[in-house]
Amino acid sequence: MTVKIRFFARFRELLGTDIITEVVAGTMLTSLITTIAKRNPEGYAAIFDENGAFHEFVILMKNGRRIDIIDAAKTPVEDGDEIAVFPPVAGG
Amino acid sequence: MIAIQTDDVDIGDLITAAKRRGTGAVVVFDGVVRDDDITEMELEAYEDVATQELENIAKKATEQFKLLHVDIIHRIGRLSVGENILIILVTAGHREEAYAGSRFIIEAIKTGVPIWKKELTKDGGRWVPGEHGHGSGKPR
Repeated sequence: MTVKIRFFARFRELLGTDIITEVVAGTMLTSLITTIAKRNPEGYAAIFDENGAFHEFVILMKNGRRIDIIDAAKTPVEDGDEIAVFPPVAGG
Repeated sequence: MIAIQTDDVDIGDLITAAKRRGTGAVVVFDGVVRDDDITEMELEAYEDVATQELENIAKKATEQFKLLHVDIIHRIGRLSVGENILIILVTAGHREEAYAGSRFIIEAIKTGVPIWKKELTKDGGRWVPGEHGHGSGKPR
């Protein structure tokens, strides 16, 4: 199955965006983002701490709805999902 | 009008279009690119989600403060010092509701709408830190 990952702001600069990737059924959100982020050590360090946990400020969305980073490890991704990963917002 | 767009808008035209029967106060917030030793500012949005969030904020403000009209236009792309970034226009029967509604909207945008700013300088650029009010990415 196929999902799309969108990074924004500094995460986008480090990891790119609109990444279409194939995943196997049962893949969890944390696992997916970890795999993609490891393509660039600086990008990985921007999102994850030294223990492999999300930095507390990281915001996740699945199809436009926020997913708590605590729940990401048990949230499966599904075919056609759009996953967004971004730092705290700074509009206005 | 709720929009995320690259183009600027004519605030005078917005004011004219917003006035209607019962309007007693119009409050305009105009956020502009400040001269903080930068050359330009680059703005980026998760557009679909950001637009939906702006619509939700406008609806909530309208209900809570009895606003008669709300416009929110947030610009993205590359902007020069002095250019408009964000225009919030609200109307109400009285000034108290108009001021409070406008303030509510800007504070909600600052903490909950996926938009980011990068200040471009002669030496490169720096992302404007966001407000860390989310707590584990949870909605406020």
